Amino acid sequence: MRARDLFFWAGVGFLGFLVLLAVFGPTLRHHYLDKVGLPFEPPGARFWLGTDELGRDVFARIAYGARVSLTVGLIVQGLAVVIGTAVGVIGVYAPRWVSNPVMRLTDGMFAFPDILLAILIIGVWRRGMVPVIVALAITAWPGIARLVRTQVASLRHREFVQAARAMGGSTPYVVTRHVLPQMMGVLLAVSMVELAGTILAESSLSFLGIGIEAPDPSWGSLIDAARANMNAYPLLLLWPCLILSLSIFALNFVGDGLRERLDPRSR
Amino acid sequence: MRLARALTLRLLFGLLSLVFISFVTFVADELAPGDAVTVLAGEKASPEEKARLREELGLNRPWPVRYGEFVAKAARLDFGTSYYGIKEPVSDILKRDLPMTARLALMAIALAALLGVGMGTVAALWENRWPDRLALTLSTLGVTVPNFVLAPLLVYVFSLQLGMVPQVWSPVRSLPDISYLILPVAILAARPAALLTRLTRASMIETLKQEFVRLAIAKGVPPARLVFRHALRNAILPVVTAIGTSFGFLLTGSFIVERAFLLPGIGRETIEAIQQGNTPVLQACILVTGAMFILVNLIVDLLLPVLDPRVREAQV
Repeated sequence: MRARDLFFWAGVGFLGFLVLLAVFGPTLRHHYLDKVGLPFEPPGARFWLGTDELGRDVFARIAYGARVSLTVGLIVQGLAVVIGTAVGVIGVYAPRWVSNPVMRLTDGMFAFPDILLAILIIGVWRRGMVPVIVALAITAWPGIARLVRTQVASLRHREFVQAARAMGGSTPYVVTRHVLPQMMGVLLAVSMVELAGTILAESSLSFLGIGIEAPDPSWGSLIDAARANMNAYPLLLLWPCLILSLSIFALNFVGDGLRERLDPRSR
Repeated sequence: MRLARALTLRLLFGLLSLVFISFVTFVADELAPGDAVTVLAGEKASPEEKARLREELGLNRPWPVRYGEFVAKAARLDFGTSYYGIKEPVSDILKRDLPMTARLALMAIALAALLGVGMGTVAALWENRWPDRLALTLSTLGVTVPNFVLAPLLVYVFSLQLGMVPQVWSPVRSLPDISYLILPVAILAARPAALLTRLTRASMIETLKQEFVRLAIAKGVPPARLVFRHALRNAILPVVTAIGTSFGFLLTGSFIVERAFLLPGIGRETIEAIQQGNTPVLQACILVTGAMFILVNLIVDLLLPVLDPRVREAQV
């Protein structure tokens, strides 16, 4: 087994663990919002990762952070893939007076720094999970749209697409039955890597104090909160940093591995 | 002639992006929950008082007129006054905050460019040997470890444990003492440095394979001259473009760093404005940050033809 495969399967395993953690973790031992112990208890049999400054179970809070990250990440990427695919297909098949302005807008939004736009959207709207999801989805689709456009543009002239067309297939039929299925693998791989970016963006916003609202924890806000007492209790800082970094690594490894396995051209 | 046209187009595109951002920030104010009247007149103001204030502020005019006025004022750096505190003019707040953010960003981009081009070149020259492996490992870490993880970890090690640098900024520090900037700049530079390393490495490996490099070797050009004058000069072009784009990420990174080290800059001001619902300050900050991003990318694009004769001749 090559080292790359090892990393890929380790990444898959870690993501599986993350999903279990997100589903069961927040209430497995203690509820993530309940003050169940003394402040700053060290890790032990009762509190696997110790307690925070209010005596809440850190394990449950980290697990809830996983739930936040995965929920936000999956919804945002889902929206980005749907919008991005639609826009990308429009960019190739629509008449020029539609596709040109649409793709200009896409390029403009792609070039603009993500977090800045997200901060603006959240700034004028409100805090919480829904604004974060909307803001990140608005910043995430242009990348997918550009990818889909180049992919569709190159697939469009391939023989099997031409054949479907020659047999009388309409544009919607050819696109949904022949073109899009071809690029599912690439899209899945790319959205895995993009998922890492979304999770990072959500954590950044929460770290800045304008993301997920307290008392609900997110990895970003856990890191921010732990900074206050990091001299005395560095472990509280270590846990969220560790799980966040591992998740980012895992998503990148899995994304790259999927690309290799699913994209016929990269073999 | 073609170049002149391309440059004009590029300038127009920059201008258009600026209009786009100004429009988005203007609309943002329209949609913001607490409007100026409620804030200025207070929650308890009677409807008549509010209507009078609305008239006074010109808020009952149609929005295209108000947008025009907003742009005209913004062009003169007049963003009105802050809703809260001592109701300072927003331009004064910007004047106070901009130097810090600009200093951070410029120092970080300089460090990133130096590190990235240096490490990338070394990696390419020793491809697949240990300097290359080391550079790639470092750049993978730099890309994947987020700056808000890096910041507290480095503070823990270098400020709290080793006591080498101050933990946060404090106003008593005067300009010549830049020790408080070391960690923020290093953290800010990590990601762009990593990306530039990868890019320089790839571009350099590509360049070193080309004919003119082999010719130079055959001619007996000394190694240092070969690397700096022949190869790097050609390999650096995509890197220059990337420096421009990474400047944008630097601006967003400065939000994180300014919060982590309590540096009084635009990023910290933006977050405070959001948390207080201080719309004029928020608008000004976003507009200024966006304008800086557009400006830097414009400069980079205009710089390319200066650096590369090939760009000068072809259309950009």
